[in-house]
Amino acid sequence: MNSMTPKLVVEGLTHYYPDEYTGESVHALEDINLELYEGELVSVVGPSGCGKSTLLNILAGLLPYKIGTASVDGNVIHGPGPDRGVVFQEHAILPWRTVAKNIGHGLEIRKVPQAEREKRVQEFIDLVGLTGFEEKFPHELSGGMKQRCQVARTLCADPVVMLMDEPFAAVDAQTRITLQEELNRIAMATHKTILFITHSVEEAAFLADRCLVFSARPGRLKEIVEIGIPREQRNWTAMNDNAIFIAARDRILASVREEVSIAVEE
Amino acid sequence: MTTAVGNLSIAIQRRFGRQRLRKIILGSIPFAVMIAIWHANTVFDWLPPVFIPPIGDVWEAIFFLQEDCAGFVALVMLDNSCLITTHVFSSVGRVILAAIVGLPLGIAFGILCGMSRTLSKFLEPVGVFANSISGIAWIPLAIVWFGVGWVTTLFIMLNTIFWLMFFNSMLGVRSVAKVYEESVLTMGGSRWDVIKQVYLPGAMPSIITGMRMSMGFGWRALIAAEMIGGDSGLGFMIFTSAAEFKIEEVFLGVIFISIIFMATDKYLLAPLEKWTVERWGLVWRPT
Ligand SMILES: Nc1ncnc2c1ncn2[C@@H]1O[C@H](COP(=O)(O)OP(=O)(O)OP(=O)(O)O)[C@@H](O)[C@H]1O
Ligand SMILES: [Mg+2]
Repeated sequence: MNSMTPKLVVEGLTHYYPDEYTGESVHALEDINLELYEGELVSVVGPSGCGKSTLLNILAGLLPYKIGTASVDGNVIHGPGPDRGVVFQEHAILPWRTVAKNIGHGLEIRKVPQAEREKRVQEFIDLVGLTGFEEKFPHELSGGMKQRCQVARTLCADPVVMLMDEPFAAVDAQTRITLQEELNRIAMATHKTILFITHSVEEAAFLADRCLVFSARPGRLKEIVEIGIPREQRNWTAMNDNAIFIAARDRILASVREEVSIAVEE
Repeated sequence: MTTAVGNLSIAIQRRFGRQRLRKIILGSIPFAVMIAIWHANTVFDWLPPVFIPPIGDVWEAIFFLQEDCAGFVALVMLDNSCLITTHVFSSVGRVILAAIVGLPLGIAFGILCGMSRTLSKFLEPVGVFANSISGIAWIPLAIVWFGVGWVTTLFIMLNTIFWLMFFNSMLGVRSVAKVYEESVLTMGGSRWDVIKQVYLPGAMPSIITGMRMSMGFGWRALIAAEMIGGDSGLGFMIFTSAAEFKIEEVFLGVIFISIIFMATDKYLLAPLEKWTVERWGLVWRPT
């Protein structure tokens, strides 16, 4: 069955950062194996410095790797490509492009005709609630709006998998809650396959179908927590007394705590 | 009467905007003072006209120099009879030529060096060497190589423009946040997409500073080159007029140079800055 072929496969991925000066190397990832299926939102949590960003950069094709394999739709990852869209933690939308031009950038690179491009762009502008801001430049937007714009830009390019590295870490708590609920709605509407990295256990439990807990460095896949809550039911008011959510969150939290204490003892 | 003056003042303020009007007025005051002192000098006879000519003489020098001009064709053909326009046009022409050749070349090489470590290791030392010998220090050598004339002046100016533009563009590219490049690459963009859509606009603040500096230093180098190694142009005119004690022509030349330079900055570079860097929120603006 087609829906059972994973979109993203990682096998035996291990990574060392060489240090040019000391000759020693930092062991960042150890034997990571994972599969992402179509329409799934998988989150990755783990103590700081455990290699989450390293994994994402390798998958994005921005960091070359030597040990293990990673592939999307059966194609082994060598360098960046439009099949993997990335939402960066920093504000990565281009300051010299308007909101609309930023969102349509992926389609522009692929030389999609202008009429079709504009139609698609408008669709995603509306989806992320930036209607009316099409012709604004990024410096005229709030932090939350910039991240919405970045999410829309990645979605509009229609990648096979979307990779997100703590995309909401830099916005205030109130905006973050809204953005999380919006991402849930977007995941429901677009049925995208998403790998979502975060250091917030609450965020991971709220958004993910499955949550991968990483061990302290070198990052290993320590535990997988399934969160079987239908997307329609996920909103923060309901979650506060949702037994599945609370159980999953506490489970993840306990697991991460253990690792954090190991990381601190080191 | 007072209301009429008041209405006029409001009308003027509306036309120009309060802030701009303030700027124009404040900026003009030093010039007005200078002109007043200059005129006072003539009226009170402080320094003799051989040192500082009356304003009227400078004005008349324009017509005197242009007196023999044999019509529009001669003027456009830079005929020697149309002295003032010929000198102005040949200076401006050389500036335009040097800018058309030197600015894009400097930007292109600067961007390439900003991107590639290998290339910058190769070209940066030459650049530092070239910059250490300032533009005008090349004049004697240029005269030996190219003789007196337009090639020498163009060479001096190009040499000044190119290296300033090169360094500024290179530093500009290096200051662009890596995440912009990465985001274009992850959307399937090519190297060329990154150059066009990330490095060039991202380096724009530095590129514009580079243009300002190149035009400023370029003009000065040109005037100096025209004085020593040129056979036309405003620098040449100032130099030869001074030798013949035609002080009003020297003044005229200096005034022309400043006006042309200020106009380039105000009508070409400042709007470019407004249209790019300021619109993109890349400059720090006092609030
Ligand atoms: N470019 C690099 N060169 C050398 N070492 C690096 C580099 N980037 C990361 N590391 C090291 O690899 C380890 C994993 O880093 P990584 O950025 O993947 O952690 P992380 O899980 O994303 O942490 P955080 O939650 O703080 O973002 C860290 O110990 C870090 O010091
Ligand atoms: Mg990280």
